[in-house]
Amino acid sequence: MDFLQTTIVSFIGLIPVTLAQSLILAFVVLGIMIPFRMLNFPDLTSEGAFPLGGCVCGVMLAAGVAPFPAVLAAMGVGFLAGCCTAFIHLRFRIHTLLAGILMMTMLYSINLRIMGKSNLSVFGSPTLFDNVPFAQAGFPAAKIVVAGLFGFVVFLLLDRFFKTEKGTAVRAVGANPDMAEAQGINVWAATIGGVGLASAFSATGGALMVQSQGFADVNMGIGILINGLAALMIGEAIIGKKTVLRQLAAPFVGAVVYYQLVSLCLAAGMPPPDLKLATGLFVLAMLALPSLKRTRGSAPARETIRE
Amino acid sequence: MLEIRAAKKTFYRGQPDEKVALDSLDLKLSAGEFGVVIGSNGAGKSSMLNAVSGALVLDSGKILINGDDVTEMPVHKRAARVARVFQDPMKGTAASMTVAENMLLADLRSSSRRLRKGLNAARLAAYKERLSVLGLGLENRLDTRVDLLSGGQRQSLSLIMAVGGEPDVLLLDEHTAALDPRTADIVMQATVRAVDALQLTTLMVTHNMQHAVDFGDSVIMLDAGTVRLEITGEAKKKATVADLVSHFTVKTDRMILAS
Ligand SMILES: Nc1ncnc2c1ncn2[C@@H]1O[C@H](COP(=O)(O)OP(=O)(O)OP(=O)(O)O)[C@@H](O)[C@H]1O
Ligand SMILES: [Mg+2]
Repeated sequence: MDFLQTTIVSFIGLIPVTLAQSLILAFVVLGIMIPFRMLNFPDLTSEGAFPLGGCVCGVMLAAGVAPFPAVLAAMGVGFLAGCCTAFIHLRFRIHTLLAGILMMTMLYSINLRIMGKSNLSVFGSPTLFDNVPFAQAGFPAAKIVVAGLFGFVVFLLLDRFFKTEKGTAVRAVGANPDMAEAQGINVWAATIGGVGLASAFSATGGALMVQSQGFADVNMGIGILINGLAALMIGEAIIGKKTVLRQLAAPFVGAVVYYQLVSLCLAAGMPPPDLKLATGLFVLAMLALPSLKRTRGSAPARETIRE
Repeated sequence: MLEIRAAKKTFYRGQPDEKVALDSLDLKLSAGEFGVVIGSNGAGKSSMLNAVSGALVLDSGKILINGDDVTEMPVHKRAARVARVFQDPMKGTAASMTVAENMLLADLRSSSRRLRKGLNAARLAAYKERLSVLGLGLENRLDTRVDLLSGGQRQSLSLIMAVGGEPDVLLLDEHTAALDPRTADIVMQATVRAVDALQLTTLMVTHNMQHAVDFGDSVIMLDAGTVRLEITGEAKKKATVADLVSHFTVKTDRMILAS
């Protein structure tokens, strides 16, 4: 009884902090979802783009740049990183996953170069979370409002975009690249732009995280991809992915639920070092589920197109 | 008008499994002409159509559409002039998108895509009308994902998508081969109606000799990557299935003798 009580009390106490964190990390989940689901381009760049955004934002804050331009700069370099991954894949016919690993490995050095050291404190620099009415600066409420609003605006804009002529074309590239090309769509442009956009969001997550925690670290991306993937799967399990609206909402819902679950596990006494193993096993289980279901009963029937 | 000049394409050049797909192939279709392409497996029919669409880059030779040299033009640029329906119903449509979204993609084939709403009321109404021509009820399923349609419905959709926007050249590669006879008939009738009504310059590949006899202005028989025989005008009108088959037989005999 005592155990349950302390667990619940510490979990509830952490809800606001966790919510703030998850709304920031939802950008990374979005950056994972877009290539994966919209472009059929399984991509790992976010593991490098997240710290990239953080490092760029950190250096700019330290140099006295205002917080919003610092986030925009992070977005810009994140976009370039994603473009590079897509280009490596398209031009040299290297598998998307390998292209992503190459980029995130190279980005590690670049991030170190950008900061000049592995860790940079920006504590005391102004942040986006400073000027929220009724919320005390530096407290979770301010972060929840800012990150939540920012995320909501991005969500609405993306929903709009994917229903425009251009956005429909981008989705077609993910659905059937040969058909898209035959319908006059420039597959290269759509892929490079789409993966770039996704990495821009991952970098935005990094930039917001640095402003939230008060420091930038080259190692801040480690494991973020699997966390993001777990969040995405939870989100899709909860609200589905059949329509553009649902698919776009999944990262946000998933991030919020996933990080609360993590917080609950920690509150229940799970040692933090075991967290990555648990997350990995969870993602594995989610990925394995369909194939486990299929092996029961008849052999997996390949979808046929003939009548 | 479509012109193919001395098109050459060899796969695996210089290797033991070298394959000549197109061997100095020449072909001319006048504007509005409907050419039916026949020939045995591996004759180069699909390669020829791919060369026209840009999916196959020629080793040498030229492709001209309405007099313009499009040989160097990538597929997505050529799409403004060339539309095609593939043999495989999966290939010509985006499975995870809706019927209306697929229609939109085809609708924008020859124009630039902008940052404005794609599916507006006017477009939806137009798509409904164009699909109703088929009589398959697709006009009432605009919001259905294409992967929920049958192969025949998908192929019919592909056809309507291809003939919309009146392409300069329409390419049909055994587009009824994967369908049951009744559906194949529906798709074939819709094809002929559209080609006649819009006077489309068309190349249709088929293994169905009855179709080759019944439809089109000319029959083009390919063999070993080149045009072996062209039947046009009155001769085409009089041609029978037996005539066409006999040309295959001659060729087969020759092949047996050669081997
Ligand atoms: N991508 C490719 N790689 C290697 N060889 C190819 C390729 N495409 C076609 N070929 C070869 O080129 C030749 C012509 O093939 P093509 O597909 O044009 O024939 P086809 O007339 O369409 O035959 P079918 O009636 O079977 O569809 C064949 O020998 C084929 O093996
Ligand atoms: Mg073929």
